[in-house]
Amino acid sequence: MAKKSGVEELAIFGGSSLFVIPKSTSNLLRPDFKKFLSYSKMFFDQHQYTNNGPNVKLLEQRLADFHQTEFCVTFCSGFWAIALTISALALKGKSEIVMPSLTYRRMTDIVAWVNLKPHFCEVEPTTLAMSAATVRPCVNAHTALILAVHPIVNCCDIDGLVALAKEKNIPLLFDSVESVYESTASGKVGSFGNAEGFSLHACKLMNGFGGGYITTNEAGLARQLSLMRGFGFEDIDKIVVSGGMNAKLNEMHAAMTLASLDGVEEQVAHNRQRYYIYRRLLPAIPGIRLLEFDERYRAGYKNIVVELLDSWPLCRADTLAVLNAENILARAYYSPPLHHKPMTFANASAELPVTDRLAERFLNLPCGQLVSNADIAGIVDMLGLISGNANRISDLLRENGVE
Amino acid sequence: MSTTNFALFGAKPAFDKPLPIGQLYFPSWQRYEAAFHGIFERQYYNNNGPLHNKLEEKLQQFLGVQHAICVSNATIGLMMVADAMGLSGKVILPAFTFIASAQSLTWAGLKPVFCDINLATHQIALDQISGLIDKDVSAIMGVNLWGGSCNPKELSKLAAANGVQLYFDSAHAFGCTVDGVSIGNFGDAEVFSFHATKILSATEGGCICTNDENLAERLRSIRPSYGTDNPVSIVRVANARMSEAQAAIALMSLEDFPENQKNNETLYRYYETQLDTIPGLHLVRPTGVSFSNYQYVVCSVDEREFGIPRDLLIEILKAENVVARRYFYPGLHRTIPYVNDLSYYQDRLLNTDSLCASCIQLPIGALVTAQSVERICNILIQAHQSSAEISSRYEK
Repeated sequence: MAKKSGVEELAIFGGSSLFVIPKSTSNLLRPDFKKFLSYSKMFFDQHQYTNNGPNVKLLEQRLADFHQTEFCVTFCSGFWAIALTISALALKGKSEIVMPSLTYRRMTDIVAWVNLKPHFCEVEPTTLAMSAATVRPCVNAHTALILAVHPIVNCCDIDGLVALAKEKNIPLLFDSVESVYESTASGKVGSFGNAEGFSLHACKLMNGFGGGYITTNEAGLARQLSLMRGFGFEDIDKIVVSGGMNAKLNEMHAAMTLASLDGVEEQVAHNRQRYYIYRRLLPAIPGIRLLEFDERYRAGYKNIVVELLDSWPLCRADTLAVLNAENILARAYYSPPLHHKPMTFANASAELPVTDRLAERFLNLPCGQLVSNADIAGIVDMLGLISGNANRISDLLRENGVE
Repeated sequence: MSTTNFALFGAKPAFDKPLPIGQLYFPSWQRYEAAFHGIFERQYYNNNGPLHNKLEEKLQQFLGVQHAICVSNATIGLMMVADAMGLSGKVILPAFTFIASAQSLTWAGLKPVFCDINLATHQIALDQISGLIDKDVSAIMGVNLWGGSCNPKELSKLAAANGVQLYFDSAHAFGCTVDGVSIGNFGDAEVFSFHATKILSATEGGCICTNDENLAERLRSIRPSYGTDNPVSIVRVANARMSEAQAAIALMSLEDFPENQKNNETLYRYYETQLDTIPGLHLVRPTGVSFSNYQYVVCSVDEREFGIPRDLLIEILKAENVVARRYFYPGLHRTIPYVNDLSYYQDRLLNTDSLCASCIQLPIGALVTAQSVERICNILIQAHQSSAEISSRYEK
């Protein structure tokens, strides 16, 4: 990584990229290989490669303990974990699901598979999180479920959402994909609402190659979901629930997750260190604000989100283009918001001025296990270079016809 | 053999531990360790990684198909195909198949139309399909069972003549050919299962094959795929990517295919020789193919000839630690939710009902040896010979 001294050296104008290996926003945890092999040996020796094998059983117990919940059910992906849980929980005969628009880009796809209509709610401008206040106006006679999605830094007001769901007697599912390790004023993430959903994709805190899981304290729901993920079979030849499919987690992915879980404390310590470096260095760059973790509670420190303030001198798209050319794979935070994405399935129309404004302002910066302390210094230096030379960059971009 | 020799009546089981049914081929520990060492070195775990891409390329070569699109499992693969083909209304499929075939339709918002089957081949009854086609039927889902085929060429003619689309659940058919053409090349698309119980295993996994460029692009966008050259507009994604772990196992499994197929065929021939001597046990031959993977040993039990009913035979085998099973059971039309939602089919699918009442699946694959086949067949022979005594003692 050679520090750049001038705008002309930027990769977008033909210079070499700051990083040879791209620095992404994916976590890409590499768990301890020996541990992975040791877990693998369990299923290998039993010749049981899937279908609720020894690692899946152990993992579900370990994750339930980790989240301090009674039950955990694993799935082939977070996407299908959430889809099946919505399908199990949604009030029959109701058509809408209340959910944020400023969230995971595939969330409406999940809702389309369960034949519900997204009814998008606003988020709070300061926290980027949905709240009881933003959800309440969206709840109506058609509401089948509230899908409460935590933002990627800090959490929603859990107590407020739980109270609202209880008041309205509507099922509440938390999507806690970005909040695996988090605790809040309400307690540890995992045991709120009817259930909480998580992902085991390689880009998340727990790398299981791919996969997902649900935590819940409801025995009936846990049973129903573990049946549904395996076609509805209670026993050989005996299907006892409808809505089944194949959403089983295989044993290799379970072994990988177990090895990841074993190293979670060490990982979080490293994440915290990376976060602290960003927090120490970013204030020197004008016009950019780090979204800080609420350190009164336990946090995983995985994601780094910054706001480009009104004083930031370059538009976000240009900023991203310059960074990406340097192999700094920063991404626009949940942009475009879901209500602006084309949907060929039913959805409730929405005007969301707060979401619209926020969707233009935030960036995810590189994080995860392949980003070193020196890399962070290089990334922040690059932001400084952009900030200090924005007009020149703008001019050159136009001259070069990059836009 | 007296009944006292049967584990069902307290004797020591013929096998020390349960002998499972499925294929369960898996690489050696050394190969497993080496493959995963490579993955951990590369730190590429998912999202169209190098092993995944290599697997797709090798599958395309092996099958002679233009597009092999790997997915997390075959059920989601079938759901994706229904979406990508833009199906609507109703889809015809046999009632004698695994539940996933029908569940894929339900998830895709489609209504299954159950067709009866041919008693001799167990495959969909071609002569009954036209009678089931009405204006709401948009496609036929052929199902290639037991390492045989459901006659994809005839089905193609039928589908074309009736103006409906055609695709296949080929979960059982990896490596099989019809007149020298690999299954995977028929209809608009075919879906293979790479579940651990199949000849090509990714532990979980599957693959969609098609020779239709546009359909392939839609499928890749539904999966979705990173780095797709031409992302196209689709209704919804399905998050069905195959990980590097799954791809690693599937690549080794593909490498081992010739050896595993040969092992299956050898075991199948052992079964064939001995089962053909037992009255009332009728082994199903993989019909309609020029080459079979022999991944299933399925018999129908004629209770009158054999002497004891199918379900009791399964009890006898289970007690001996042979995990024989009824398969498929029950027919889709008698399964939740279709038994309630589509009650029209009750008592209209007589061949399906008949097979569901008589079919038995026996072990074949990695954990089965010639000796274990011999031992299983001995149990079957003795069960037949002692049938009267067994029935009488069991009833007591």
